[in-house]
Amino acid sequence: MRLIIRHDPNAVGSYIADYICKRINDFAPTPEKPFVLGLPTGSSPIPTYKALVKLVKDKRLSFKNVVTFNMDEYVGLPHDHPQSYHTFMFREFFSHVDIPPSQVNILNGNAEDLIAECNAYEKKIKEYGGIELFLGGIGEDGHIAFNEPGSSLASRTRIKTLAYDTILANARFFDNDVAAVPRMALTVGVATVLDSREVVVVVTGLRKALALSKAIEEGVNHLWTLSALQLHPWALIVVDEDATSELHVKTVKYFKSIEFVQDEVERTQHELKLRGATN
Amino acid sequence: MTSPNGLICFTNCLLPQEDGNLIEQDLWIDERRGIVLDSQKTFFLRKIRPDRVVDLGGNILSPGFMDIQLNGGYGFDFSVYDDDEAYMQGLKMVAERIIETGVTSLVPTVITQEKSLYPKLLSLLKPFQTEKSAALLGWHAEGPFIEHAKRGIHADSFLLSAPSGTKSFEAVYGSNNLIHQEDWVMGNEHVVGVRIITAAPEKEGVMEAIGDLTKRGVILSIGHSTASTEEATNAMRHGAKLITHLFNAMPQLHHRDPSIIGLLGASPHISPFIDPTDADSSPALSATSGTVEEHMSMLDGSTPPMTPISTRAPSVSSTSSRKSRKALHLDKGQVADMEFERPFYGIIVDGVHCHPNSVRLAYSSLPEKCILVTDAQRILDPHLKDGVYEWRDGQRYVKEGDKLYLEGTDTLAGTVVTLDKCVRNLSRFTGCSLGEAIKCATYNPAKCLGIENRKGTLRPGADADLVVLDRQGRVLSTWVKGKLAHTTESS
Repeated sequence: MRLIIRHDPNAVGSYIADYICKRINDFAPTPEKPFVLGLPTGSSPIPTYKALVKLVKDKRLSFKNVVTFNMDEYVGLPHDHPQSYHTFMFREFFSHVDIPPSQVNILNGNAEDLIAECNAYEKKIKEYGGIELFLGGIGEDGHIAFNEPGSSLASRTRIKTLAYDTILANARFFDNDVAAVPRMALTVGVATVLDSREVVVVVTGLRKALALSKAIEEGVNHLWTLSALQLHPWALIVVDEDATSELHVKTVKYFKSIEFVQDEVERTQHELKLRGATN
Repeated sequence: MTSPNGLICFTNCLLPQEDGNLIEQDLWIDERRGIVLDSQKTFFLRKIRPDRVVDLGGNILSPGFMDIQLNGGYGFDFSVYDDDEAYMQGLKMVAERIIETGVTSLVPTVITQEKSLYPKLLSLLKPFQTEKSAALLGWHAEGPFIEHAKRGIHADSFLLSAPSGTKSFEAVYGSNNLIHQEDWVMGNEHVVGVRIITAAPEKEGVMEAIGDLTKRGVILSIGHSTASTEEATNAMRHGAKLITHLFNAMPQLHHRDPSIIGLLGASPHISPFIDPTDADSSPALSATSGTVEEHMSMLDGSTPPMTPISTRAPSVSSTSSRKSRKALHLDKGQVADMEFERPFYGIIVDGVHCHPNSVRLAYSSLPEKCILVTDAQRILDPHLKDGVYEWRDGQRYVKEGDKLYLEGTDTLAGTVVTLDKCVRNLSRFTGCSLGEAIKCATYNPAKCLGIENRKGTLRPGADADLVVLDRQGRVLSTWVKGKLAHTTESS
């Protein structure tokens, strides 16, 4: 696991956007071989989306050959409800970039048969050959997507009941009316995320600090579902200074040191590849 | 340059909202259907996105302006009829050229005429639009049921009273031109020309006709009138919705008898809400319950968008039979319910017809009802130089900047100001934001006419009649029904 520490949420956003931009451009996606990207909602990824939009406007990145799968959606909320994740994704991201609508996948929380909807989603991901990079955020209780504390770490896309904390936290988006917050959501499972070839998680702000320490400094634990990332071969967590507040100084120092090593390894690899291409 | 899939995305622009805000957001339109799209639905349900993206460079993308009082322009006078063909040509020419001022819809206004001319003239003023023109929405008849003392430039000999109420109106305008409400209900909008009648409620028979005309979808506007406070208030009770060029051709504001201007401050003490279920509180209403039932049946089902009907007694009654509110209330920021909503008011913000202080006084008392009108005359033409110009009947105009008066007099004769300039002036005179000023030339007039779903708005489904303004309110380009129709030179 790599942990990248940046000064503030905006710096975190541009780091991740640049990272994803490089990954997509190196991948050189085509209509036959698109780049498959998993996407989150929430406040943490907004700076990342803003930075990605800028890259597209500056013509350094295109989503023409990118297929996206969103993590989750509320059950029973109309698509055009101001708080639906359809609305969020359109407002913050899809309306500003050149992605064809047919390549956007978001779970349908209004499907008649919710279980069939979830199974079809997993199937569709597989048909695309799995997710190349899953971008995620976490809740204060360390949940990834709507995989609340106690979720199976082997879980797949399914219907989930929201934890009481999450309902309370989300009430602010529903005129502080707890009763108006949907009680259920459809969400990809922990295993769905772990199946992707790369996972990038954004964690910013003091309120996420405890979750971050639980997820990376303690053992794998279904009460902090992000900790399952410890089992992933190629995971990256990008955080701001505030989010490191509960980490040991030793942990922070260690991850800071590997950032330099990582850069050097990547540079060397790149040169080797270039040399190989010319030979 | 069109879009392969017919969809256009305007980006990098500020969109005026119906609350006067300007927000940075994209707008999607369908250039073939000529309407504004619900972009999110288009993306997720139709699964398409615009093939063409228009970068507006941070400028403002506003709904096209609407002028509900315009007498003519570019040499053509809506009140002058020679023959059908010349008249229709004139209408078309004004409609096509006016878009350079950002106006994409207007209500041609006919000033007092010899009464035999009306049936013909008004029958020609049906809703009309070409590919690249502003939409003519129907007609606004200013006169002849107006007050001698406040006639302005209207010809004295043509002024009339309405001794037979509605029948007098029908006799003058032609009963075919005052269609019945069913035409609105059935959506026969294209056959309906009547929009606004400016009349003086104190004129004999006018008050009696207001309720009936209002039911037919006519916006009755109080103007060229010496109505007392009580007469003006009664006109509101009967269904009047609008005041014609506020401050002009009406008594000045007197604090003990504030007359028509005072309607901007219509008091809940004088005109309290009357609960129709509470018989005790509405003696005036119980006497006229038959009328109310008739009204309720009109309201049954869907109310046609053009005919906001007062649900309260339109019968003649005096203020003395009404009671003021029984109790005070404790909710800060709430204003006690009224018997009627305060009126919309057209106001000429050319810096001549109303002093900037007066403009601010009116605007700050009732911003959501403010409607910018030009009251422009046929010599309106932003390219025209100052000088003396022919009008008609041997009279001549003098144009001096935005001032226009009858030669040899100091009687103001409408204006030559353009609506885009009125928008900028309103922002300057009152200190309001450009977005709030834009609202007074878009959403407010559309709301007054009851067409705010289609015009003066950027709601999904509205006509894609748009004007691009720079951040100082100058017109850069005008779009009609989704197509670029005008671009300002060297901007």
